[in-house]
Amino acid sequence: MRPLNEMREVTIGGIGITKWGFYENAEWYDFGSEAILAALKDAEMEWKDVQAAFCGSVYQGTGSGHQAIKEIGLTGIPIINVENACSSCASAFRLAYQMVAAEIYDIVLAVGMEKMPRGPIPSTAFRPWELKLGFNVQPANYANIAVQYMKNTGATMEDFSLVTIKNRRHGTLNPNARFQKPVTLEEVMNSRLVAIPLRLLHCCPLADGAAAFILCSKDKLKSKHKVITVAASTLTSGVYGEGYPPADLIPSLKYPPAMTLSELSAKQAYEVAGCGPADIDVVQAYDTMAPAELWDLEELGFCKPGEAPHLLREGVFDLNGKIPVNTDGGLMSRGHPLGATAGGQIYEIVLQLRGQAGLRQVKDAKVGLAHAMGAGPNSAVTILKR
Amino acid sequence: MTKDGKMIFPLNEGLYTLPSLPDEKTQLIGSKCTNCGELFFPKKDKGLCIHCQQITLEEVKLSRQGKIASFTIVLQPPSGGFYHGPVPYAYGYVDLPEGVRIETQFTGDFNTLEIGGDVELVIEKLYEDAEGNEFVTYKFKPLKD
Ligand SMILES: [Zn+2]
Repeated sequence: MRPLNEMREVTIGGIGITKWGFYENAEWYDFGSEAILAALKDAEMEWKDVQAAFCGSVYQGTGSGHQAIKEIGLTGIPIINVENACSSCASAFRLAYQMVAAEIYDIVLAVGMEKMPRGPIPSTAFRPWELKLGFNVQPANYANIAVQYMKNTGATMEDFSLVTIKNRRHGTLNPNARFQKPVTLEEVMNSRLVAIPLRLLHCCPLADGAAAFILCSKDKLKSKHKVITVAASTLTSGVYGEGYPPADLIPSLKYPPAMTLSELSAKQAYEVAGCGPADIDVVQAYDTMAPAELWDLEELGFCKPGEAPHLLREGVFDLNGKIPVNTDGGLMSRGHPLGATAGGQIYEIVLQLRGQAGLRQVKDAKVGLAHAMGAGPNSAVTILKR
Repeated sequence: MTKDGKMIFPLNEGLYTLPSLPDEKTQLIGSKCTNCGELFFPKKDKGLCIHCQQITLEEVKLSRQGKIASFTIVLQPPSGGFYHGPVPYAYGYVDLPEGVRIETQFTGDFNTLEIGGDVELVIEKLYEDAEGNEFVTYKFKPLKD
């Protein structure tokens, strides 16, 4: 196996995103192609420059990327559809990165797009006998982790609520987010109980949306944006013995893993990038449920186990804190179009490193990390540098 | 069959023993690896141990008592239309002394659920259909102290 950090440097040629929310009169190929065209424009490239396309989505069915690209024009390039649950776009991004790093192509598109199904969402992780017992309630699966986290760390319901409040506050500065209004502690604590101890406002909202990236070798860059390189893009899909209720994984009591899935993907990413958590200036963590952001930050190495609630209260993860987390409002504000979600995270890191994040700009951000999790299970860590 | 012609069905087949003698008690059925010792519930029909990848699993009956590892009380019905039991309902995980974690619904007084609390296996109705037929399942119930 050839180490990725010995391969060709890969840069971000261009980025594109759409407003995230509910599109009642448009399909994924409509706003997906809109994001691709925005990325091309940002890259100052022509569609005919793109040599391969990796298209992430979860619910759009067969050939979903082809449908989006048909809106722009087929050019004979390979189009590969990537379904990897909530890590789909990070996985598409990783494949594009590897293609450029390995010098197979010079300019590659990665896109994530999703029009979420309306009504109940089927889960493939649970077996029929488990569905009959009601084990497939996503907030309840996180609630089972949350009560253990509370017991082990002393974290409180209020700590979880403070994650929602912080991210929704950041979201007020993101014009592409589904929710751009802040919420109060009272509103979170009075929202409907879904699965004790989690309430509705501890759960991220759904949304439709898309994000696209042109990845290229440095010599192909055309725009005058600051040069952003991909320092690492890792993906790990499950380790033996780790419990992860959202993916219907029960922990092994006899053979617990040496490292969790998140810890392993983060370790691999830091090794390839040649940096550690202390070098990261801005973080997009995985806040599909409010408490998950807390243990995510711990597993990514930004603090010791159990320390995140305390640091959150101190403002360390605020926009102007020492480690700004979910600067665009996270899943809590953006909403969660499964196949596009990780793209929203990477998009924000690029904006921050370029210094184009406007009112939510983190001062002088040079290195950023995005972490997508999800069913499978998958854990994808992307580190970008300028 | 119950006396008024209603039937009792297990919600799922093969998860627990069906006692034939009056003083015999129901137990969950799992798999144990004779190579690495790993335990699984439910039992794995292929006999393949997903820890050591050997075809070395044998069927075992599991302990009837354990401790609550975690629990939640669900206040909204699950999606998909597969679940016909009551809402709210409680579910979570129980650790058995031989070293295996079981995903389960809880029954009894939900206010007595606590992490580390002692629970015991019971077989109980989850719901009945329009004809009055009962569908029963394994659950764990807090032990009275
Ligand atoms: Zn084994």
